[in-house]
Amino acid sequence: MIKTLHQKVSLILIAIAAGYLYLSYNLKEYPYVPVDSDLVPKVLGYVLLVLAVALFFDKSSETEEEKEKRVVPKKEILVMAAVGGMIFVYIFLFEILGFLITTFVFILACSAFLGYRKWMTSLIVSIVFPGALYYVFNYLLQIRLPQGILPF
Amino acid sequence: MKKLLSFGLILFLSILTACSNDQYASSDDGEWEPEQPIELVAPAGAGGGWDTTARSVSQVMEEEGIVDEDIGVVNKPGGGGAVGWAYVDRKQGNPHHMFIGSPPLVFIPLNGQSQLGYEDFTPLANMIADYAAFAVADDAKWDDLNDLFDDMKEDPKDITVVGTSSPGSMDHMQFVKIAKAAGVDITKIKYVSSQDGGALTQVLNGNADVFSTGVAETVEQVRAGKIKVLGITAEERLEGEVLSEFKTAKEQGIDATFTNWRGFFGPKDMDEGQVKYYEEKFKEVSDSESFKEIRDKYGWEEMYMTSEEYQEYLDEQNEELRGLLDEMGLAE
Amino acid sequence: MGGLDGLLQGFQVAFSIEGLLFVFIGVFIGTFIGMMPGLGPISAIAIMIPITYGMEPSTALVMMAGVYYGAVFGGSTSSILLNAPGISGTVATAFDGYPMAQRGEAGKALAIAAVSSFVGGTVSVVLLMLFAPALAQVAVTFGPPEYFALMFMGLTAISSLSEGSTIKALISATLGFMVVTIGIDGQTGTPRFTFNNPNLLEGIDFLVIALGLFALAEVCFLIINRKDTSLTDKANVGSTKLSKEDLKEMRGPMSRQSFLGFLLGVLPGAGATIASFIGYITEKKIAKKPEEFGKGSVRGLSGPETANNAATSGAFVPLLSLGIPGSGTTAVMLGAFLVMGIQPGPLLVQDHPDIFWGIIASMYIGNIILLVLNLPLIPYISKLLKIPRPLLISLVIIFSLIGVYSVSFNVFHLYVLLFFGVVGYLMRLTSFPAAPFILAFILGGMMEQSLRQALTASNGDYSVFVTEPISLTLLIISLLTFVVPMIKRRYSTV
Repeated sequence: MIKTLHQKVSLILIAIAAGYLYLSYNLKEYPYVPVDSDLVPKVLGYVLLVLAVALFFDKSSETEEEKEKRVVPKKEILVMAAVGGMIFVYIFLFEILGFLITTFVFILACSAFLGYRKWMTSLIVSIVFPGALYYVFNYLLQIRLPQGILPF
Repeated sequence: MKKLLSFGLILFLSILTACSNDQYASSDDGEWEPEQPIELVAPAGAGGGWDTTARSVSQVMEEEGIVDEDIGVVNKPGGGGAVGWAYVDRKQGNPHHMFIGSPPLVFIPLNGQSQLGYEDFTPLANMIADYAAFAVADDAKWDDLNDLFDDMKEDPKDITVVGTSSPGSMDHMQFVKIAKAAGVDITKIKYVSSQDGGALTQVLNGNADVFSTGVAETVEQVRAGKIKVLGITAEERLEGEVLSEFKTAKEQGIDATFTNWRGFFGPKDMDEGQVKYYEEKFKEVSDSESFKEIRDKYGWEEMYMTSEEYQEYLDEQNEELRGLLDEMGLAE
Repeated sequence: MGGLDGLLQGFQVAFSIEGLLFVFIGVFIGTFIGMMPGLGPISAIAIMIPITYGMEPSTALVMMAGVYYGAVFGGSTSSILLNAPGISGTVATAFDGYPMAQRGEAGKALAIAAVSSFVGGTVSVVLLMLFAPALAQVAVTFGPPEYFALMFMGLTAISSLSEGSTIKALISATLGFMVVTIGIDGQTGTPRFTFNNPNLLEGIDFLVIALGLFALAEVCFLIINRKDTSLTDKANVGSTKLSKEDLKEMRGPMSRQSFLGFLLGVLPGAGATIASFIGYITEKKIAKKPEEFGKGSVRGLSGPETANNAATSGAFVPLLSLGIPGSGTTAVMLGAFLVMGIQPGPLLVQDHPDIFWGIIASMYIGNIILLVLNLPLIPYISKLLKIPRPLLISLVIIFSLIGVYSVSFNVFHLYVLLFFGVVGYLMRLTSFPAAPFILAFILGGMMEQSLRQALTASNGDYSVFVTEPISLTLLIISLLTFVVPMIKRRYSTV
């Protein structure tokens, strides 16, 4: 019966270690070195396996403080997931639409979503911040951020 | 509602961009001129061979007014060059981006460390030839390549070669090529790769024995008496202070050379007008007095090739290097 | 030429109106670029190279030294204010700097960083001037076995970086080490754990891990506490006032870490990152109240900040006296020399004394300018924290994303960043510390490469690690730091 958090985490870690070890044993061989590229990964895989098993049987229960940290209201998880989703969409459109447009929309949408209602300030920040960053990167530092569909 | 609106706007704008391909093509009479600043990508950090060559070329182009548009050098280090190549590859259809290439452009795809190879780009022109040098600590027991190779034939276990590039790439294979011609069993050569100045340090502290590198990297250390150069891979001796003292492999009776060619490559499928434009401009640079001075300063030799000559040369190189890598069992 | 004559000549270069102006410009630009997302000293110097084209080499290089210093300092700002370390050298700065800023003492935290940087920078330049040639010889004796031992010593410090469970800290470190094995292996060219995805051949960049595990994971907590306005309402977040007690607290770390950081900086490849971690750990080990560390301790901030700046000058030792770049940053610096037409080598002091001493003199001046320039700016910079939370959250997210994009130019790595943000959050929820993860990520790669370089040279004979005296000593020290606390614990509980 799996009860504690430690045991759940431990099982996930064992799965990671097993997958990692499987890949380590299937690495391509290179004939001209005495110690090949698989040595360190194999060691790491077994170390993780041992540690994960040790965690499974670790008796020390969590402190109250640690437990408290894990109590996150369902609603907040949804908020975080939504922000995560926004980041995902941002990344997806980043090179297609360009830095300026995506960043403008993101700052406006994300801060409004999180409860910021001063539209004027929000609008100014979402234009000035990306604009300044874009100018500095593209024109002063010659590091090209994606231009996207805008002509500059 | 607002979300719908912005989505509609995004959709509209993306359709707009999709329609504007081929905006940089040559005019109908096959003439072409750049319309934007030109970007030369050095697929490595500042100060290396690629970077120095690209910067010198852009300097000459600007100083002599060869090209009207601005020319900037951008460093895109990583993956032995692969990061910079991928960057230029993403610029297909925009002939204002190009990178400087050299033998790793052939080695690294052959090793399977990059999916992009020279075939995926348009060779524009080759500019120069540089050469490899093999150096050992100043107090080492070997005085020329034959001493070294004799020892290697006897007991290859005792000698470690160190270089900056990864195994199967330039620093490794340039040594392998010369060693093979000298009759060393190349499957027994021990090669260690070390970045950030570590290679030279390892030769100085005796962890490794032979430093496989470019000619220019050795000059200052030789002058200070820290290391000595056993041989270089040029056809004939180079000119210049210190440089002219380096013996070639050929004069030591080893019939092999290795050329570190460097030239420019644009994205795939550039049209004739564009290729012709760059060929001419690079030719002007190569023929200029100021580029000659730069070549002399770094110990490079002139090696201009047009796009077509370059393509043939690359095919030959590819065959030859593939043979070498196959023998080592390193080719994909 | 004697040292004093040389230095005087150097001050002539640096103290000319032109020289002063360029050091000033360099420091200013460096600080500015260092504050930009993802840009550290490496990019700052690389960016400046084309700009210095055609300048007098000695002035140009004096300016470059200023840029280097400024960028190292500028990188601390985002660590302290946003928990977003822009370069590996400032990860340890965030451990105590960020909690201090969150307590409402952002100005104080930045001031401690500035003063510590100044002291670390200045003391180490004196050391650089006095001992460069001798130390350079020591640096060269460090071969792969010694590096392996040094990295190993750094890794054993993991146990002291964790709060609570040692098993969790070790698991975290193992995972960090595993992540760094992704990509093409340096010694064989074999692609490892890349799932045939060409985007992974390059491996995962340090910034992706740092910004994911630290900045984005922190964003999750900011989101939960987004209605918290305690910082926004606080009047004096920007106050740079340091109390007598603060200064007294700083004295110890500053004097110790100036030396230790410098020595670690001299070793090629070790550099500012390891110096800052070792600085943090040693301060924690000898502190009377180690439980304050991680919660905004003055010592915990002053230690790594002194160390990383001291290491910055230390890294110039092998570059200036041997022509060997000791770190990624000095490698770019070497590039700057080459572009200027100067090939640094063991003869640099003889051939170009004006440049050698000019750089050293500019370091003294650069440090002073850095302090004078930044202290007055701190109140304005720390106002950043007064931005309302929802807006600040959006800006931190953008900062992290652009930081990663400006080093990789590849959208794929942005997804990886998002992934590590989630991982970082889950780790915090389940009380797995992130610090060992990132320490193992930073040290692991070099440790593995050194291990295998040494073994290739020795034909697979593991005894190289114990027959070399330096390597043996370091390994013994690491074993002791690991074993002694365990024995102590055993006896104290019995």
